Amino acid sequence: MKFKPMTAVAILAVGALSFTAIPAQAADPGVTDTEITLGMQLPQTGAASPGYNKVDDAMRAYFDYVNSKGGVYGRKITLVAKDDKYSAGLTISTASSLINESNVFAMVGSVGTQTHSAVIKDLNRRGIPDLFVNSGNSAFYTNPSKYPTTFAGLGTYVVEAKILGKYIKATYPDKKVGILYQSDDFGKNAIQGFTTAGLVFTPGKTAAGFIAGTQGSLGITSQLKQLQDAGVQVVIIASVASTTAIAALTAKALNYTPDKWVVMSVGSDATTFQTILYTKKIMPAQSAAMLAGIVSASHAPSPGEATDEYVAAFKKINDQFNTGTDKTWDNNVLQGMNIAYQTVEALMGTGKNLTRKALINWMNTKGSTLTSAALAPVGFSSKTHEAYTGFWIGEYDATAVLKPVGASRVVYTTDSAAGPVTISTFKRPAISADALPKAA
Amino acid sequence: MKRMNMRKLVATFGASALIVTGFVAVTPSAHAADPVCATSAKTGVETCAGKLSNGASYVMMVPSTFNGTFFYWNHGFRASYPYPGYSVPTGVQEVTPYNPSTGKDVTQQMLYAGYGLASYDRSSTGLHGWNSADSVEMLKNLIDIAKAKYPTIKKNIIYGSSAAGAILTPFVEKYPNYADAVGIMAGLTPPAANEIKSLCDAFYIMSVFFDPTIKGCAAMGAKGVAGHMAALGELGKVVALLKGWSADYGAKPLAYPAAITPYGIPQRSALLLSGLMIGLPTKSSHMDGISTSTLVPEQSINATIAILENYGEAIATGALAGQAISEITGPGFYDNTKTDWASLLSDEDAARYNLGLSGDDAISAMVGVLSMAPRVKGDPAAMAKLAALDHVDFSSTKPTVLLSNEADRLVFAGNTSYYVDKAQAVYDQRLADYQSGKSKVKPVWNTLAMYAMTPVTYTKFLASGAPDLSAKTAAVSGVGHQNFTVDQMMAWVRILAQSAKYGHLPTDNYVAANLKRDPNFNLDPMYRPNDLKYTA
Repeated sequence: MKFKPMTAVAILAVGALSFTAIPAQAADPGVTDTEITLGMQLPQTGAASPGYNKVDDAMRAYFDYVNSKGGVYGRKITLVAKDDKYSAGLTISTASSLINESNVFAMVGSVGTQTHSAVIKDLNRRGIPDLFVNSGNSAFYTNPSKYPTTFAGLGTYVVEAKILGKYIKATYPDKKVGILYQSDDFGKNAIQGFTTAGLVFTPGKTAAGFIAGTQGSLGITSQLKQLQDAGVQVVIIASVASTTAIAALTAKALNYTPDKWVVMSVGSDATTFQTILYTKKIMPAQSAAMLAGIVSASHAPSPGEATDEYVAAFKKINDQFNTGTDKTWDNNVLQGMNIAYQTVEALMGTGKNLTRKALINWMNTKGSTLTSAALAPVGFSSKTHEAYTGFWIGEYDATAVLKPVGASRVVYTTDSAAGPVTISTFKRPAISADALPKAA
Repeated sequence: MKRMNMRKLVATFGASALIVTGFVAVTPSAHAADPVCATSAKTGVETCAGKLSNGASYVMMVPSTFNGTFFYWNHGFRASYPYPGYSVPTGVQEVTPYNPSTGKDVTQQMLYAGYGLASYDRSSTGLHGWNSADSVEMLKNLIDIAKAKYPTIKKNIIYGSSAAGAILTPFVEKYPNYADAVGIMAGLTPPAANEIKSLCDAFYIMSVFFDPTIKGCAAMGAKGVAGHMAALGELGKVVALLKGWSADYGAKPLAYPAAITPYGIPQRSALLLSGLMIGLPTKSSHMDGISTSTLVPEQSINATIAILENYGEAIATGALAGQAISEITGPGFYDNTKTDWASLLSDEDAARYNLGLSGDDAISAMVGVLSMAPRVKGDPAAMAKLAALDHVDFSSTKPTVLLSNEADRLVFAGNTSYYVDKAQAVYDQRLADYQSGKSKVKPVWNTLAMYAMTPVTYTKFLASGAPDLSAKTAAVSGVGHQNFTVDQMMAWVRILAQSAKYGHLPTDNYVAANLKRDPNFNLDPMYRPNDLKYTA
């Protein structure tokens, strides 16, 4: 890591930080009377970028929309996004750049469990708000004394797995259920959730793990063969979308046709799934057909639900303000808009006297009131920094749109511990006519 | 006469059988003598040489433009007995801060700046080893001699590198009026037990996964040549493993113990686990932890090779310094009966290096094996002596400036942040006392940590895709022990001089102006390197 000397001199000149004194309670960086500077890290390029590389442009589009309406208490929001290529070493160096050169006030919407693991401790040590992280790793959020400034942008993998697990048990009571999981925090969270829901897996038989990151290079043939040999009829995939794509191709090669694929939401993102398969010369219509019938879950409406008021409002803003290279409306864009919306809501709620400490305090005390397109409430409090505590279950149709299973959509809710899975009674507040959140 | 060079030691183990000769320690005559001085007609520098009261050699150099500020250099650890590539020093080797990688020091630059220089051979009774307590008195002796010889001295700055950290802090606490500023370069922060325990852990982990004949620190404690040879023997076993992995990057599956063989975990994953558990840097001279090639397709493999590149010198430090310390404590200073191995791998590292560690299932298996392996039980008396070694309370009020590399594989950079933490705790208490009226003295924050960083990326690959581990592509900054550029060392020297001049750290502007002279200096006041795994 290295930084341009003039930047540091500039830092020193304004007295925000000091080499020769214990850091004092100086004004937080990244906030002026006219501007709030936010940072985020994501894979904008590289193998892990498809789909995720649209989130920052969507967030910026919403912020630009807010700026066009006067900003937050007169402050325009600037988002500085850095490409870490999903390489943890670059996540560290880009975080330093955001902190020391861009002087960000807070981080928002950063993408990735493994990459964020490389910086989460340092961000928290520095007291930098680390909002709406795009990772479902429960370890980031369920112990706020460890990571007091980090708040989720997704429901945890545990919550999602518990809800999907209950559905699987109820829907396929006589089927043999197995799991293909990446052997890391994601997989660990998933297995915790599914087993809490009552599913039982046998290592070497119905539970097939692989090292995250090797699915492309080493493949997952032996794992799927293991599940096939074990007679698994319902295959759960607890991994990223590249695994789902490879699994689909590998199963075909093995002539393995389980009765049902159940894929956790991160692994079933249609854009990512189809983009990856497109690189393997599989056309969108064909990949959509491969996705069709897969069961998954979501905390938000499907981007294809054009009549949903949030979807409609965000889509309109995306059309007008998104200047990214690919602003095609999809789940990633919706998630980006949603995070930006919540960010603005939190900044407004914190008030005119914006400080990092005040923002964290607001998130701990009022964060549970945050609204968004999500159909489940957020769980933010001083005891947990989990976001969405609920998911609805759907099945992909032939056009790669997730549609609710059953006659109507049912949102289930639970926690990341041993709490029961119940039907949510949450009523999503309506979006305002100007699509701007109102201060709580 | 050669300075200690761990890289050469490790290379020697790999290249040839161990040949140790010349074990005769020379006991110098124990009396001080007036220095013998000569002035260079060409440079005007007066050079004086003499003996301290215990017979150890010293050197002083004073330019004709002497400005009244005198620097007293304290070199790092030296073994008492030779090994291939190293002969025991019998005189002053270093006069000023020295980079063993480049062979450059800053003697000329410091003399040109008008500073007086002094240095001494830290030998007591003809031996070196862990003689920090003796060195404290030798340093006092040296300063007394210099002040007597040069009455125009106005400011005294004590500074040193590596193990000298265990001299400088005890010294300034014992003799606060002898120093106006303290400089600690790549320095160990007492107690040495913190880092030594990690290095002993390294031996232990190697014994569990790869070679049950490795005893590591449990084999240390015999005095003299026998102990030295025993420690080198332990080192040789680990170096043999490292040599094997250099050829195949540890691709073979773990074959020992039997409980772990069904997992098919590559040996490199256990190597990486070991490095992470002891806090070894995941950047090395040639591996930046980021860059990839077709052969090294993901960053965690890059970090694994960095661990491999760093391991030899770290374990050599453990062998030589551990043995030297064991001569003071006696055998049994290492104990891991209460070690929680799982806690030594942070959640963050487990996630970040998950691929290199072969995933959570492999991590669980490896940690499980470690947890079930027979432990090393130490001797309570020896452990107590180690804990008390070089005791300090961080109470000095003198300006103290630390300089550390981000990725120092011998004395981990966490020593520097640990020093700052301890100094801050003392400062906070003093401030509370002042604010509550218990003290009338308002404390002054007088500790500054400077870090040299690596470039973001610097790994080069050969056409085959293998990392190029040749010296030509080495990182220009931030890695290695005492591997600082002349500009970096002189920036540190200037800040020390300014601190001594005013009795407190210089202004932020002055510090920043010096830091910006080198593009790889850390400019983030809140930067923190990886913490030590153990902090007493």
